[in-house]
Amino acid sequence: MATETKGQSTAESLRKKRTYGKFRCHNPSCMERIQPGKGEKTAKCPTCGMEYRVHWVNPTLPRIRGPVWDVNRKLADAKLKEKGVL
Amino acid sequence: MALNRKIAYIDLTTGDVQTESIPLAVRKKFIGGRGLDAYLLYNHTKKGCDPLGPDNALIISGGILTATCASATARTHIMAKSPLTGMLGSANMGGFFAPELAWAGFHHLVIKGKAKNPSYIYIHNGEIEIRDARNIWGQSVTDAQWAIRQELGDEEVKSCVIGPAGENLVRFANVMTGVKNAAGRTGMGCVMGSKNLKAVSVRGTMDIEIARPMEALEYNKRFIDQITSAKVSQTQGTLGTPFIWGATNSWGGVRTRNFQYNQCEYSDDIEPERIDEICEETMGPYHMTGCFGCQVHCRAQYKIPEGPFAGKYEEGPEYTSLGAFGAETDTPRALTVLVGNHLVNQFGMDNLEVGSLISWAMELYELGIITDKQTDGLDLSWGNDDAVIEMIERIAYRKGWLGDVLADGGIPASKKIGKKSFDYLVQVKGMSNLHSDERATPALALNVATASRGSDHLRSRPAIDLYHLPEEVLRKIYSNPVAYDGPLSSEHTEYIGKPWQVFWQENLYMGVDCLGICKYHTVFLGVTLPSFEEWSKVLLYNTGIEMTPEEIWDAARRCNMLERLFNLREGLKRNDLEKGDMLNHRYFDEPCRRGAVDVVGTMIDKKKFIKMVDELYEHQGLDKNGVPTPETLESLGLKNEPSHLL
Repeated sequence: MATETKGQSTAESLRKKRTYGKFRCHNPSCMERIQPGKGEKTAKCPTCGMEYRVHWVNPTLPRIRGPVWDVNRKLADAKLKEKGVL
Repeated sequence: MALNRKIAYIDLTTGDVQTESIPLAVRKKFIGGRGLDAYLLYNHTKKGCDPLGPDNALIISGGILTATCASATARTHIMAKSPLTGMLGSANMGGFFAPELAWAGFHHLVIKGKAKNPSYIYIHNGEIEIRDARNIWGQSVTDAQWAIRQELGDEEVKSCVIGPAGENLVRFANVMTGVKNAAGRTGMGCVMGSKNLKAVSVRGTMDIEIARPMEALEYNKRFIDQITSAKVSQTQGTLGTPFIWGATNSWGGVRTRNFQYNQCEYSDDIEPERIDEICEETMGPYHMTGCFGCQVHCRAQYKIPEGPFAGKYEEGPEYTSLGAFGAETDTPRALTVLVGNHLVNQFGMDNLEVGSLISWAMELYELGIITDKQTDGLDLSWGNDDAVIEMIERIAYRKGWLGDVLADGGIPASKKIGKKSFDYLVQVKGMSNLHSDERATPALALNVATASRGSDHLRSRPAIDLYHLPEEVLRKIYSNPVAYDGPLSSEHTEYIGKPWQVFWQENLYMGVDCLGICKYHTVFLGVTLPSFEEWSKVLLYNTGIEMTPEEIWDAARRCNMLERLFNLREGLKRNDLEKGDMLNHRYFDEPCRRGAVDVVGTMIDKKKFIKMVDELYEHQGLDKNGVPTPETLESLGLKNEPSHLL
């Protein structure tokens, strides 16, 4: 049932769980939260080793611009080989 | 009152115009916008009607909240039987048209017949006239709009128009408004072209009385805060929709070389930040703009920086143009994307369909299924930027054998090309898939396969499934406004619980389309954006209609079921590769080769996929063949459709 606790809707109450200054690793089974150093241009996932280029939407809001292509390709090729995909 | 906005029935053959009020009982059943359009389409067309014949009904509408104090109610919805798929045609666009239509006194237009000569409809404060458009026939999308303004002597006139693609009956032609707002799926512009209708122009100054103005304004402040504080809205407002393409490409979720790869590597020149830089270089730092009543401002403005089109003003490019003219064709260069985006907008053609079909043709060329003979000597090798630009024009004007064949859409083209060309066509129900790759995301694959207007990301996509939200958060979202205690999984490679998410999103998106609000203002990309609970209040304060969140949910279900009934009437069969809820075999047979390490090697498990479809049908109240049970129709009040209440 629709519930509104303390005058807040579901969506509004979920805002409390929001995190700032971090993004999640794009490797879908990893999804580790990564906190790049302020203004840093790259960040490496401490869990799975994927490496990303960082873009700062504003000084407190970083996002992944894209992978570090060479690192990404190397990891993907190794995985392809491991899975036996031609 | 918003509720006194009417329906106009316009017959282009006879010139007859009739207007009618919308009874409150009908409003409560189908609300407005896309939902009420579905009711009108089902009631005003007959089984098997020719999509390009005079009996097809072209319906143009705004939502029930359009032009009220609610935020982002800019959406115009267009519906008809689709000339691309032969099934449900439905497309939605932003801009300023729908509010102007509401100020002119109308929420819905039902246009039938065929004008003897090129014509346009002009609506002004309750008055409707059909005018001669012979002198604007042939003009581009923006030129046509300015020509109409000039003729009417009013720069505030807003128009829905077709470009040359619609006039040439390209089966995926758009209806457009402004520079780049496109009702761009299922060929609604082709339907307009078939009726000799160049434009529908509106100008309105009739006030809309708000039911509870102070409460409406106060509540909207809260609504706006929810929207502007979301990280996803802030990113949208800075980089536009390309940021979604960039993020998706980063992990390996975009189609490249038709469906050969799932990531466009080394695509730095078309990454959203690069597009943003080009926009800043050509338009200055404040190059983002928005639709009526929007706080997100996700639309970039630019001028083409160099080449034969240098200096041309354009808007976008959106997610789909990056995919269409960058990744799909393996031409990840900004200039190709910017020019391609400009051309499809001016010709009035679906960028998504165009890019998909060109990349499909490129794969067929690589395989030798089509040769230089069919391309009239054009080298369709991957990465040939000039060929991509050339093919856009050939399709819009049906030039050459291949341009003409592709202009009829993928399935008819595959029948003309023959050999194994159909196997490589990535489509559902005759409409090409978005330039995203769903092989690593079963929930998204289910959405694409079962969407009502053919392969589509805006009808039921649980995009937030990619965020790996904790289960308790997922449950909180997906258990409102109706209880759900079945399984849910935070893992987006999973199959369990996904059918419920797709079902929930299907009803959410129908709800937002009935209200006339943009999807970027609900739980599409951001989990903290407004939903059924907020809509119930916004509806009450602005229109005076009392509907609980559960009642809005029920109305959305009812409208989705009407779309299903329409598709079943026009031949939908569950596993039919041309008209069913089924994916191309490549989803099940070819693993992903690029992207994040855990995406590499993944594909959809067909048995599990079929089980998901079964489960989705159960939620929807359909039997194993995808047909609604008598109990479902009874419970939704659809047992007697078509009921001809309007």
